[in-house]
Amino acid sequence: MTRQETRTTGPSSPAPDARTAPLAVRERSHGGQGAAWRAFLRRPSTLVFLPLVIIFVLVAVIGPFFVTDPVATSFPKLLPPSAEHPFGTDMLGRDYLARVVYGGQISLLVGFSVAVLCMTFGLIVGGLAGYFGGWIDTAMVKIAEFFQVLPGLVLALVAAAVLGSNIVIVGALLAITMWPGVGRIVRAEAMRISKLGYVESQKAAGFHSLRILWSDVIPNAMPPVLVATTMTVGRAILIESGLAYIGVGDPSNPSWGGLLNEAQSYMRDSWWLALLPGTCIFLVVLAVNMLGDALNDAFNPTIGRVK
Amino acid sequence: MKAGLLHYGRLLLSSFILFIVVITVLFFLLELAPGDPVQALVGDVPLTEEFRERIMAAYGLDKPLWERYLIYLGNVLRGDLGYSFATNAEPVLDIILSRAGNTLAIAMPSFILSTLGGIVLGSIAARTRKRWLDGGISGIAVGLFSIPNFWFGMLLIMVFSITLGWLPTHGKSPYGQPGIYWEYMVLPIITMATTELAYKARIARSAVIESLGQDYIDTARSKGLSSRRVLWRHALPNGLLPLVTVSGYSLGFILAGSVLVERVFGWPGMGLLFVDAIERKNNMVVLGITIMLTITIIIVNIITDVIYGIVDPRLRARLAPKQEVTT
Repeated sequence: MTRQETRTTGPSSPAPDARTAPLAVRERSHGGQGAAWRAFLRRPSTLVFLPLVIIFVLVAVIGPFFVTDPVATSFPKLLPPSAEHPFGTDMLGRDYLARVVYGGQISLLVGFSVAVLCMTFGLIVGGLAGYFGGWIDTAMVKIAEFFQVLPGLVLALVAAAVLGSNIVIVGALLAITMWPGVGRIVRAEAMRISKLGYVESQKAAGFHSLRILWSDVIPNAMPPVLVATTMTVGRAILIESGLAYIGVGDPSNPSWGGLLNEAQSYMRDSWWLALLPGTCIFLVVLAVNMLGDALNDAFNPTIGRVK
Repeated sequence: MKAGLLHYGRLLLSSFILFIVVITVLFFLLELAPGDPVQALVGDVPLTEEFRERIMAAYGLDKPLWERYLIYLGNVLRGDLGYSFATNAEPVLDIILSRAGNTLAIAMPSFILSTLGGIVLGSIAARTRKRWLDGGISGIAVGLFSIPNFWFGMLLIMVFSITLGWLPTHGKSPYGQPGIYWEYMVLPIITMATTELAYKARIARSAVIESLGQDYIDTARSKGLSSRRVLWRHALPNGLLPLVTVSGYSLGFILAGSVLVERVFGWPGMGLLFVDAIERKNNMVVLGITIMLTITIIIVNIITDVIYGIVDPRLRARLAPKQEVTT
């Protein structure tokens, strides 16, 4: 409605709009964000938590070259942490450090790939919905409502029970249930940006809608989308760990949550089995959330403290 | 008034449609599941073909899929959730209701605690001039909602039950005793409440900060009101509007999260029943619990919307001009 109105009023003053447009674009999409990125990198919490995330990723990637076989039951059972086994051994006599390293691969892989999938879906559907409105907008709002009413954890549990519970299916299910979170943010941003003067003037100048979406709407929507995507990494790791704890996932290739499932019966005497994988989940999710917060603060300096 | 009725009428209609969609998706999803309800009913014994057909006919399982779907939908709307084939064909609704009380016994205190605690902590963090206090509360909040909730429960068990021996580890009462004992409730309630409390404290903090920056707060201050009065009478009521919505959704999250928390503490509520039903492929119970959960969340959403309409003057104002147009 309002979009129609603004479009009809647009051409009455095309000249000043068209002249200011390139300037506005440059200002918004490069200069402002560059400064914000530098502010982000200088934040104390970034200096602590960005290296932490990088270390976890590195350990997951190259760690397997340095640890023993995570399924070899060649050691005494339930050894507490020692110099030889820094993380102890589990109930079948497997080196727990190796199991935690391999478990981290699964947890991190799920977390990052779900977040990337959510961002991709969210940008495409949310961008189209916010920019064009109409049926695609209605459809997206309804889908988001659906996942609000039916918690993702519950739907993923049911679906994993039906479809089988390998890690690809779990990841896909998480992406399907979680993308509306990012999508709604993109949608709101796209609605806001598509009403800005310079976008209106590009529309009036006859630029192709998809081109405007790609080169103006999406770049300008990126800051909040990146924050949401970062947070999604943490939430996906948390939900996956919960599902794995209940037993959804590949038992022969357990994530951190799967290790906690195994640890449940050994809490009384073997504290390290429950403590260590949980601590890893906590540290990664905390780091990711802190980075999300730091991003948010860097890109929204206006929302600060009261004097 | 008429506009208000129209708004709530549309809300009810769209909620109802959403409800039907949820049932439909879940029904057909579970139809894909492998498993044989008749075998589940009689247990692990060989069946004659004739007996099987008799059972199938008795429970309407011989009908085509779409017909079973319509019958099920009709039954649900009349309050009949079908029969649990794995447990002697007990009515699903009875099974769920026998467990619902146990879940609510820990979910409702968690909901109340997390809402009140979140508002108080969030407001303190927003208003305090002591940076360390704000930083401390905000940091703890981020920390608490970065913890896997179920693992937090495991830690509580390891500290308070195993090491210190203060509280029991498992169940809702001493073995064989009926009812719920308070010692058994403490850790599950704390576990359930923490994540939500942290989340609500964050929302409350930013909401109060935002509303403290508004012009009417300056007005209130310039009238010479004490800063406590400004917070409680002016900033909070307006700032807490977003928290109404968040609280509505949080009840759904708490109930869904009961799946994990009840598993940690062996708490015999709906969450444990749900996990058990999924493991045993007891589809009617899975479907029944999900439907109950969905109904609860939808009803809470409607209540949230009504509360919002009452407390938010802007929404009242938006509904009012429409009324002039329609009449």
